[in-house]
Amino acid sequence: MQPQEELVADKELDSATSDPLLSIDDWENFRDDDIMQQQTAIRAEEAEKMPFVGDKEPLSALAAEYQSGSPILQEKIKLLGEQYTAIRRTRGDGNCFFRSFMFSYLEHILESQDKAEVDRIIVNVEQCKKTLQSLGYADFTFEDFFALFLEQLESVLQGSDSSISHDELVTRSRDQSISDYVVMFFRFVTSGEIRRRSDFFEPFILGLTNASVEQFCKSSVEPMGEESDHVHITALSDALGVPIRVVYLDRSSCDTGGVIVNHHDFLPTVSDLQNVAEGGSGTVKPFITLLYRPGHYDILYSK
Amino acid sequence: MPLRSLCLSFVSVEDNVAREFRSGFLIIFVLRNRLKMVDFSRVQKELVDCNRDTAISGVSIMLLGNDLSHLSGTITGPVATPYEGGTFKIDIRLPDGYPFEPPKMQFMTKVWHPNISSQNGAICLDILKDQWSPALTLKTALLSLQALLSAPEPDDPQDAVVAQQYLRDYPTFVGTARYWTETFAKRSSIGTEEKIQKLVEMGFPEGLVRTTLEVVGGDENMALEKLCSG
Repeated sequence: MQPQEELVADKELDSATSDPLLSIDDWENFRDDDIMQQQTAIRAEEAEKMPFVGDKEPLSALAAEYQSGSPILQEKIKLLGEQYTAIRRTRGDGNCFFRSFMFSYLEHILESQDKAEVDRIIVNVEQCKKTLQSLGYADFTFEDFFALFLEQLESVLQGSDSSISHDELVTRSRDQSISDYVVMFFRFVTSGEIRRRSDFFEPFILGLTNASVEQFCKSSVEPMGEESDHVHITALSDALGVPIRVVYLDRSSCDTGGVIVNHHDFLPTVSDLQNVAEGGSGTVKPFITLLYRPGHYDILYSK
Repeated sequence: MPLRSLCLSFVSVEDNVAREFRSGFLIIFVLRNRLKMVDFSRVQKELVDCNRDTAISGVSIMLLGNDLSHLSGTITGPVATPYEGGTFKIDIRLPDGYPFEPPKMQFMTKVWHPNISSQNGAICLDILKDQWSPALTLKTALLSLQALLSAPEPDDPQDAVVAQQYLRDYPTFVGTARYWTETFAKRSSIGTEEKIQKLVEMGFPEGLVRTTLEVVGGDENMALEKLCSG
């Protein structure tokens, strides 16, 4: 019975789409609100499956995912195991890079209690604010997002009334009203940096989308849910002066037949790098490592 | 920060309930509520910002009564278009998630345009859907609507009939659009402003006059009756 019913449904669908008048009518009745409503419903469904930031899982959880998958990937995950111990997944809603960065950075500060780093980034955040002002953004469009990020930053430093535990950081990172605000803070910072150095970013953007810098920022950086590329990562890393390592897990392999796991370190531009180097060692090792699988970023924990 | 003040007011009003929660839970609970509400302090700043240079920008936003989530915008028709000389009224509703969710905008003035429904004023514009960003404002959205009047996108239509006419018979499209502007965007707007001025001169507050006129569909006598009956 089941297959026959499906056939009937298909037929109805066919006749509906083949009648041009009917489909035009349908679209006229299909309003923006309906589309938004549908999107909200899809997001809500997604939310039930996966929080913005998941629990820390051993790397074996990743291996299990590819048990019957590509041998190249299995091999690469084995190699990852030599350097990394755990993974923390994030929700694939287009904001995963920013949410991964947020959690990873705040967790690092919470665990290291590196006050010098906090002081350093606050200076950069202040600079980002000035950048946005000079680009003509009205203060009220970004001030709440900046304030909320600084509040989180303050709270992961221990010893004050507003200090929070690791558990609380996880809880907050899963709370939409905090997570979305911080994501939007990063989107402002990223957009401001790209616009401020548009001559530098223009060729990369042309390579990606054929859009102008202005169009790119408006359509691919500032709206929530727009996925991040190397342009976004470079801009955010430069603007905040935070080095980021991205480890690539894809099916590429060497011609010689051997398998290596590629990674790329996004290191802040020279002037900012000097600030980082002032802290001591000459080489900068990113304390944020993200695992990239085509279209998605998760957090990696090294040994 | 609206966050802090909201926390405080919640705690003071619901003090007994608050004690039942561990503080961490409470904060999250309050924060959740915050997201469900329109960020009114931002909306107030937006109104001031938008109405600062109305004469230059050609767009403005008015309050309809006390509800900050329901506003009324106007845009002037761009010069050298069939909409020149017209004033178009836009109904603006702010959803609970604003500014994360886009404002809902709809033309209240009838307009003949490929991307605006000639039936109900619904608008097809990317920034009012998935391309919306909290970096945008009500003012930039209204300016985008003004730009849309200057540069229709018939390949991504809201009104298929208008779009077809635009593509197949452009002169007729221009004629119709101009006629609609003359008929709906001039008389109604001038008329309404005159009615408002008259009622305001009788001593009623402007905000109340506007809402009342809106409620009765622009009928001056009915509005007066309603205003007098309190």
